[in-house]
Amino acid sequence: MRFLIAVAALLALLPFGLPPYAMTLLTEALILGLFAMSLDLMVGYARLISFGHAAAYGFGAYASGNFLLHTSMPLPCAVLLAGLLGGLVAIGVGWVCTQATGVSFSMLTLAYAQLLYAVAFKWTPVTGASDGLAGIPRNPGPFGVTWWSTKAGFYYLTLACLLGTFVFCRELVRSPFGAVLRGIRENEAKTIALGYNTRRYKIAIVAISFGFAGLAGALYAPFAGFANTELLFWLLSGQVLIMVIVGGAGTLIGPVLGAVFFLYMQQQLSSYTDSWALFFGVIFVLFVLFMPEGIWGLILSRFGKKAA
Amino acid sequence: MDFLPFLVTQCLNALSQAALLFFLGCGLTLIFGIMRIVNFAHGAFFMLGAYVGYSTVHWTGNFWAALIVAPILVGAFGAAFELGILRQLYGRDGHAFLMVTFGLTLIMGEVIRLIWGVEALQVKPPDSLSDIVFILDEPFPVYRLFLVGAGIVVAVVIWQFLERTRLGLLIRATSQNAEMVHALGTDVRLVRSAVFGIGCGLAGIGGVMAAPLVTASLGMAPNAVIDTFVIVIIGGMGSFLGSLIGAVLVAFVQVFGTYYFPDFALAFMYLIMVTVLVVRPGGLLGKEA
Amino acid sequence: MTGTSGFSRRTLLGATLASPVVLRHALGDEPIKIGMPCALTGPGGEVGEQMRRGAEFWIKFVNAKGGLLGRPIKLYAQDTGGDPATAVRKAQDVVERDGCRLLFGMTLSSEALAVVPKLAEWNAIFMSSDNGDGRLTGESFVPNFFRANTSGPMGTRAVALYLRQADFKNFYAIGMDYAWGRNSIGVFKDEVKKSGKNFIADVYSPIGTKDFSTYITKIRQSGADACYIVMQGDDNNAFLSQARQYRLGDKVQLLTEIVDLNSIHAVGDAAIGLIGGSRYTFTFPGEANAQFVAAWKKEYGNVPDVFEGEQWQACQVLQAGIEKAGGIDADKLRPALETVEIDSIKGRVTMRACDHQGVQKGFMVKVVQKEGFKEPIPDLIATFPADQVTPACRQMTYDS
Repeated sequence: MRFLIAVAALLALLPFGLPPYAMTLLTEALILGLFAMSLDLMVGYARLISFGHAAAYGFGAYASGNFLLHTSMPLPCAVLLAGLLGGLVAIGVGWVCTQATGVSFSMLTLAYAQLLYAVAFKWTPVTGASDGLAGIPRNPGPFGVTWWSTKAGFYYLTLACLLGTFVFCRELVRSPFGAVLRGIRENEAKTIALGYNTRRYKIAIVAISFGFAGLAGALYAPFAGFANTELLFWLLSGQVLIMVIVGGAGTLIGPVLGAVFFLYMQQQLSSYTDSWALFFGVIFVLFVLFMPEGIWGLILSRFGKKAA
Repeated sequence: MDFLPFLVTQCLNALSQAALLFFLGCGLTLIFGIMRIVNFAHGAFFMLGAYVGYSTVHWTGNFWAALIVAPILVGAFGAAFELGILRQLYGRDGHAFLMVTFGLTLIMGEVIRLIWGVEALQVKPPDSLSDIVFILDEPFPVYRLFLVGAGIVVAVVIWQFLERTRLGLLIRATSQNAEMVHALGTDVRLVRSAVFGIGCGLAGIGGVMAAPLVTASLGMAPNAVIDTFVIVIIGGMGSFLGSLIGAVLVAFVQVFGTYYFPDFALAFMYLIMVTVLVVRPGGLLGKEA
Repeated sequence: MTGTSGFSRRTLLGATLASPVVLRHALGDEPIKIGMPCALTGPGGEVGEQMRRGAEFWIKFVNAKGGLLGRPIKLYAQDTGGDPATAVRKAQDVVERDGCRLLFGMTLSSEALAVVPKLAEWNAIFMSSDNGDGRLTGESFVPNFFRANTSGPMGTRAVALYLRQADFKNFYAIGMDYAWGRNSIGVFKDEVKKSGKNFIADVYSPIGTKDFSTYITKIRQSGADACYIVMQGDDNNAFLSQARQYRLGDKVQLLTEIVDLNSIHAVGDAAIGLIGGSRYTFTFPGEANAQFVAAWKKEYGNVPDVFEGEQWQACQVLQAGIEKAGGIDADKLRPALETVEIDSIKGRVTMRACDHQGVQKGFMVKVVQKEGFKEPIPDLIATFPADQVTPACRQMTYDS
């Protein structure tokens, strides 16, 4: 806990020391970190590999984008509502997808995400089709509250969402609910034999996970000022899964580090060379071969367990 | 155009498309069946096939040579990758394979760009295939008929290979129960290398065959990989026959669906996928895994 | 996911060329920094590569003559992968980190549409050299955006004006299913109807379509004698290759909004006979173009393609504006650019204040096989005056 407060304090102080472009990049990294953390709930704790997580992210982005464009809803409300909506919709999707297990589950999530992608391309009034939604504003709140519309303000909003989600998720995985999830991960048949309706737990975790992914997407739309179909594409689902693995699945913090690492590497490499993809690819392969536990795993083994 | 010639040409269109999808899907499904891994780099192998095909045609002036050289080279590269990298990862969970093959996709795409450049490259079919024939008075490209024929030949060859040869038997046995095969004294690792090589080689053939239709370009890999996934998922992962059925089903729905409802062209494939998976989570012919 | 050629050679070359120039100048000469986030990989990679080459060529040319206003020019090119989200991030990067107040690039219109709302906040001027979307000088117009190139509606208009004189009666149209395809075909449809001819139907293929057989069947069945194509990159190449295999061109005249050398190279003979608009082709007449093509050949060993020429023109416009304003400060540069008038490789270009569109001529070319060229080349067949091609201010359609 002390560690958590220290990190939170450090992150909160960063806007005073970092140049603007670094703040922008860090904000985006934290949004992606939130996205990756949400996926970790499923992948790391229940071994439900979602291959369509971008669906939730894109859904959240379009939802908050529409709220902000077409209503005068204050930014934080739009973001939270979009995340909540994502979670609610995910109950239905989760109900269908959890009929399958293993690879079939992954494929069903992929199928849904791609279907949503195809729909987004045609549902012009809501999604703007291939143009996407542009010029998404950061609506002010009542009484002229606008602190979140500045660069630092938006960063704090993102940070608050990330930390809030982290605390929630950590309590969740430490609770009896989390124990059942781990039971499902290790041996689902045994968990069923112990009298648990594992399907219900799985639907719940899918909804929670998709809800937080939706929250991340909902933050992204006003952050970038636009939303488009790329945010729903399977490539993003693949990338976020890689962020989780690079960072270390089943650790909650690891995926955030994975996301930060992913974004910074891509950004830095691509400003030095056109061949960034080559180096990026090599890094992934080396990661798998030499750092199977991910970044967080490496940190833990290096500095002992005390940090957690 | 009358209805009958329309129907016939559209069916042939669908079959030629199915053939290309099958080359991709069948390799991916074989690999999955044996190794239980989703080869994310399959599209990249397909693309490599097209580029190797281009160079072979460029140097030898012979398309047929490309059909032999490309699968061998691409297959050898795939097998080497299995030997060098994937082999160290068996026993690890699926994440590792996902990441390694994703990384390989990026690496291959960039290396291809550095070797062949960013511009799309033309691969000409041989003159004998560049002509048209008249089917019920409608002109139809000979090359498309060739694709249909090639698809059938490859399907039959692979089927017979799986059914009749010792290696085919081992492959089927390994996909059922790898430990048992291992216990019986066969080196399962060799079977895996062989299958990975064959699967990639098939993608390579697909690349050469597709090149005259779409040119060899850097957009091929990301485009192909999702189509391939869809085919294999619909058919059932690991099922050879499933990949064939999946390819034909998707191609027909795509061709006729696009004709009548062009606005839904993008959605058809995914609609079939969702429908099939909701009814049968393991795919048409797959076991639920 | 990936794309673009020869980074090492070119960046090394750029580095060795740039450094002596920087050294030659006195320390007080702050370079003019231009940010160029463009698609060097992924969709649009070929176009982005051309744009960067065009800009590099201009910069080398200017720096060799002692720079602009005595200041060297420095380019900050960044790869966006053709993704709007990355384009915004990269643009932010060159502006906030590298201190660029001038922007080139944004290869795809979707990237440009995502970036332009931010220009005011950055106090940066964006000079477009390839964005076709009519809305950039229409409903999405922002004061810091300038377009030196021929827009999508302008390209379509040239095709339409040409068709008024031609014999074709019945038209079909196929476009990629995104903003550019739909906009251009909308303009085209309008034009066809106005000229009293018959527009049969339009169809849009999803981006990344590989098999066009069904679309070709539809076009063939429609009884059209001409088909207007609004496609680009891989989709365009695939469509033209397959249309050739079905001998579609024997029955239907294929028309296209942009003829470029890359596609001709990719589809070879399948391009012969294609008629289309041209934003730029090395075969354009005029001394300025002849000099440009000769200098380009000397530098790169081949002739410049569409977006290399367009980028050069955009650079010329920007240069004229900077010289006029005496600096790059947006508040001074904006009014200066609004009145720039130059004679470029495409002829006279006049920037106008009301929507920042470069008013310029429209061209039609036909792809033919010519003596002395290994591959087919675009040959100029018609030119239309600027006032007929350029739409009214902030408009995307034409009244007459």
